[in-house]
Amino acid sequence: MPKHYRPPGKKKEGNAAKYMTRSQAVKYLQVSLSVFRKLCILKGVFPREPKKKVKGGHQTYYHVKDIMFLKHEPILEKLREMRAYEKKVKKAMSKKNRDLAERLLSRKPTYTLDMLIRERYPRFVDALGDLDDCLSMIHLFAALPAIDREREKIEVNRIHNCRRLSHEWQAYISRTHKLRKTFISVKGIYYQAEVEGQKITWLSPHALQQVLPDDVDYNIMLTFLEFYETLLAFVNFKLYHSINIKYPPILDPRLEALAADLYALSRYFDANSRASEMELKLASVENGAKSKDAELEESELRLAQLQHQLPSNEPGALMHLMEDAEGKDEDDAETMECRNLFKNMKFFLGREVPRESLLFVIPAFGGVVSWEGEGAPFEESDQSITYQIVDRPTQGRKFLSRDYVQPQWVYDCINARIILPTDDYMVGRVPPPHLSPFVDNEKEGYIPEYAETIRRLQAAARKEVLPMPGMDIEDLADPQHLLAEGVIDRAEAIEAAEKKKKIAALQEQYHNELKLELQGANYSSVSNDAIQNATLNSEAVEASVPDLQQIAEDAANMSKVLMPRKKRKLYEAMQIGKGRQQAHVGLLRERKRKIDAAKGSK
Amino acid sequence: MAKDTSNQKNSKKSKKLQSKGAKEQVKYTKPEESPNRLQEEEEEKAESTSSEELSPFDSEVEGEDFSDSDDDKSSLSGSESESSELAEDEDVFVSSDEDYVSGDGTSGHVQNDDHGESDDSRQVEESDSSEDEVAPRNTVGDVPLEWYKDEEHIGYDISGKKIKKKEREDKLDSFLASVDDPENWRKVYDEYNDEIVELTKEETKMIRRMLKGKAPHADFDPYPTAVDWVTVDDFEHPFPDAPEPKRRFIPSKWEHKLVVRLVRGIRAGLIKLDEKPKEEKQVYLMWGEDSNSTERHHVPAPKPKLPGHEESYNPSLEYIPTEEEIKSYELMYEEDRPKFIPKRFTSLRSVPAYEKAVRENFDRCLDLYLCPRVRKKRINIDPESLKPKLPNRKDLRPYPTTCYIEYRGHNGSVVSISTNPTGEWIASGSADGTVRIWEVETGRCLRTWELEEAVQHVAWNPAPELPILAVTVAQDVFLLNIGLGNEEEQKRVEELLHIDFPGAPDDSDSFATIVKWSKNDKLGGVRLTHFKTVSTVEWHRKGDYFSTLMPAGESRAILVHQLSKRQTQRMPFKLHGLPVSTAFHPTRSIFFISTKKNVRVYDLLKQRLVKKLETGVREVSSIAIHPGGDNIIVGSKDGKLCWFDMDLSSQPYRVLNCHHKDITKVAFHRSYPLFATSSDDCTAYVFHGMVYSDLNQDPFIVPLEILRGHSTTNGRGVLDCKFHPKQPWLFTAGSDSVIKLYCH
Repeated sequence: MPKHYRPPGKKKEGNAAKYMTRSQAVKYLQVSLSVFRKLCILKGVFPREPKKKVKGGHQTYYHVKDIMFLKHEPILEKLREMRAYEKKVKKAMSKKNRDLAERLLSRKPTYTLDMLIRERYPRFVDALGDLDDCLSMIHLFAALPAIDREREKIEVNRIHNCRRLSHEWQAYISRTHKLRKTFISVKGIYYQAEVEGQKITWLSPHALQQVLPDDVDYNIMLTFLEFYETLLAFVNFKLYHSINIKYPPILDPRLEALAADLYALSRYFDANSRASEMELKLASVENGAKSKDAELEESELRLAQLQHQLPSNEPGALMHLMEDAEGKDEDDAETMECRNLFKNMKFFLGREVPRESLLFVIPAFGGVVSWEGEGAPFEESDQSITYQIVDRPTQGRKFLSRDYVQPQWVYDCINARIILPTDDYMVGRVPPPHLSPFVDNEKEGYIPEYAETIRRLQAAARKEVLPMPGMDIEDLADPQHLLAEGVIDRAEAIEAAEKKKKIAALQEQYHNELKLELQGANYSSVSNDAIQNATLNSEAVEASVPDLQQIAEDAANMSKVLMPRKKRKLYEAMQIGKGRQQAHVGLLRERKRKIDAAKGSK
Repeated sequence: MAKDTSNQKNSKKSKKLQSKGAKEQVKYTKPEESPNRLQEEEEEKAESTSSEELSPFDSEVEGEDFSDSDDDKSSLSGSESESSELAEDEDVFVSSDEDYVSGDGTSGHVQNDDHGESDDSRQVEESDSSEDEVAPRNTVGDVPLEWYKDEEHIGYDISGKKIKKKEREDKLDSFLASVDDPENWRKVYDEYNDEIVELTKEETKMIRRMLKGKAPHADFDPYPTAVDWVTVDDFEHPFPDAPEPKRRFIPSKWEHKLVVRLVRGIRAGLIKLDEKPKEEKQVYLMWGEDSNSTERHHVPAPKPKLPGHEESYNPSLEYIPTEEEIKSYELMYEEDRPKFIPKRFTSLRSVPAYEKAVRENFDRCLDLYLCPRVRKKRINIDPESLKPKLPNRKDLRPYPTTCYIEYRGHNGSVVSISTNPTGEWIASGSADGTVRIWEVETGRCLRTWELEEAVQHVAWNPAPELPILAVTVAQDVFLLNIGLGNEEEQKRVEELLHIDFPGAPDDSDSFATIVKWSKNDKLGGVRLTHFKTVSTVEWHRKGDYFSTLMPAGESRAILVHQLSKRQTQRMPFKLHGLPVSTAFHPTRSIFFISTKKNVRVYDLLKQRLVKKLETGVREVSSIAIHPGGDNIIVGSKDGKLCWFDMDLSSQPYRVLNCHHKDITKVAFHRSYPLFATSSDDCTAYVFHGMVYSDLNQDPFIVPLEILRGHSTTNGRGVLDCKFHPKQPWLFTAGSDSVIKLYCH
């Protein structure tokens, strides 16, 4: 309830006025819970955590402003209309009023979500920043089967739409060389792209039959999907617009039928970029073109476009185009690096490798790719192929001119940004471990062996010199290094201890002399004792000095004494986190040690 | 006229009825019945007329007959009047049609018979048409006759046989018939029954009337007078008799307008029927080139966690848990169990579909719309930066850092130590029942006293000219002559410690029971025997007074003794709780008593409470007063050190959580800005504690050094610490029977 409508006796301020529970909100909006949920999903309204939960801790609270925001949403009215419409249809059906029902069914009320997208993402960067979930979901649904159950229904056209959108997105990323990292995990393949400074990570499931669990509410997912589909369509439009390509793309139906959408898209790009050039020319020629001619021109252009698509079937044309594109725009250093990684390389994919992923990934890094099957740009027998990607125990017929590698090699090369030696990735071998590019090994505290190898190779590629492997690893792996506060601190502590020792010895000497002087004959008998004592003392001093770790710890404790309680607790909590991480690293090390020992014994 | 008479008649009749059978009849049946009556009446009338016409002579008799049969017991006079009234009607009737009488009388009789048989049937069949009277012979039913047009039969009889149609006579026959029979024009072919019907005169008359546009029956009155059948007065509620509004009878204007609008729309092609609306999702350029709109005021959802090495399809071997580890996961609680167990596949083709893909995506969806989002400030800082910046310790020198001398000789834990005012000697009391005097510089043991029981506390007289040591052992306090200093001083000390009569001195009786001053020759000193175990003894700065503390002494727990007069006094303050420690103010006549929770400050001259300091710790173990007198440190048994600035507040200025075990003793240095704590965790902390003369500046506290070296015995660590009176040195006494001197 808004503040100024509050009846007397109701709170006007504080948490009681600022937040309302979900059931209150539902009642206030006069909608059913499912409609409310849908609205929340579409509008991006989420519960809040009030400082004081007036109605109890088990309730979900929404901010009153959020609810007012929902209340003034035109879609709310649209949803009500739809509900009324459904009732009308049902009534007509049950009264066997077939005409009316048919007429109604032909006029189903619909709504569009573009205003919501505009509202939620006022800037394009915002939309890009929130694209992770959107992409993951659309890629997931692109891999799902259509279902038609009693309650839940995933329609075929939505799945096709998801496929289309995901391919469009991938085509853009691949075309503009914005892909940065890839990672094959058990869950699927992770990709990370960088668009307008936003790092966008998404997961694409393995292209296999997916499991549809029963305990999942597909309606919720479909509501999310509805929003995401619209969002990605608009994002794609904007992206395509930015590289002067018409959206939505018109694809070669033959290739589409062969499920080579990505390739079809890339050809569309090529054709389009040429067409745009032509368009420019045309525009320059016919400066004062009349509006009547516009339509004619368009059709001409379309023809030209299609003509261009046809000859680009040859690989040479594609290569040529690639070079063209390179010449044109100037990108940042990283994009350049990505573009040139697989430059002048030709890949051929076997039947058993994940084709879609590789068709996306290899062109993104400047390679040319073909596959076994219809519509492929070049055949397996092409002599210029440099790498053939196979994933089978043995390869029957081999061309000597090319390397046969496992698909992991491509992904590892991309993450390392160098062309790795292919020996480890040969057919039939177990490839080296595939490492996540998203982990900061230094921060984690544990560097896997293969990461070190890759680093070495990278350095070699850059013609740098790294320290010896043994030294380096030892230095980082030193447990004492982690325990104490760093090398500098430790050195300081040692220094201090040494000084102390010296000073103590000097003082001792001095005092002894003083005593002897002062006491003279009176205490002459004592002198013997004193000497004895002195020796004793020196021993004590010896004992106290070497405990360096103790000193370092003391220094750490000393300042802890003065910390206020809040900070101290925070510090301790941080230490606990650190300890946990160290325990994890320790576990890994232990396992590694055991594995090595087992290998050694063999 | 006829109407009037019928009216009258009716009213009469109703009256009659009322009088006749009012007892059985319910009131409301009256209006129902009356129309019936009316009908009957009318029919009766018609019959009578017909009968009159039939035989005008018997009219009266017949009329009577009928009236009698219809309404029994009606009076003769009434019937007569009726007939006479009816007679008036007659001329109208007769004038209208002369042929009526000459029509077939049989039918009229048959009618009469019917009437006689049942009134009910007549009520139902109101029309007098011949069809109704004669039962249809045809069994075609309610089907169009066209169906039988080309058939030879029409319908079926009861036995299921076809009923043949009659031969239709041709035109010639009909012409001949018309020539032959003058009455032929009356014959009409009834197609339904397939027969020729001869119309009666009545019927022809009816037809004629209808052709003229009149009602078929001559006796139908199109304009009857309205009769108020309902007497409104009897009803409880008003009877609605408002006429129907006009709008009910005329077509709606607005509907008409709507129809016109729709028609126009359809004609103009604006409204298209039978055409599906286009369902085309429009995609357009939503974000312009420079969308400089404001930033979202919206908490973005946290991004999902990025996968680590362990999620790889082919991770390093060390990321894969061993069999035992996987088994141990099963013993864990559901929540603690790792969500993801790494697996290794030797080639990409062997990787199956991830079975939780949809599930995880769904969970993410739930998180997105169900989880409250709060913008939390994650402190992404180096934990070391949380630590306060300490000034360089080198700048705060000198302070004790290193163990310089150990004083060994005691056999039990050293409980208490005390230095002499010049700092040359140190006295120590141990649990083995000995008190030793050590030379500070050399560590030589000068002298040893053997006391029977464990020493609780030793305290050197602060006056440099009086080398007296106070020692508490169980219930006794000994004042020992150390035997230092020149002869003059010795003499004075001996004088002081000389008690003439060993019995009760000149004290009053009441104190004799508490404390007994006596001479102890064996040790060469004075012995004060208390009534309870004495824990500590504290000297006044001038060296004449000293206080003793008996924690179990209740109201007489704290006593003040005067050495020169050998007097004993009770502290005149009420104790709030068990006293733990006491102290004299270093310059003024103020006395501090610490209980387990609080420290109370008393003015001895005014004999009243000055201040109560709330420590907030669990149990105070010791207190020490800064030489300036305005700051106090309190050590507690939960390892906390409280610094009180008495000018500031009764709450601690700073609480330092330094030890993880009990603090046994706290001590201030007399001249250097140093203080120290000793604890049962075998450490002693040395702090820099600078107090500024400027009242606006808070005390400045820096921890300087942790002194270690003592070892633990029976769970105790360092039991006492004392600063050297002149040098920045610290003496610590440990439960490992060693005294250590830490020098700078």
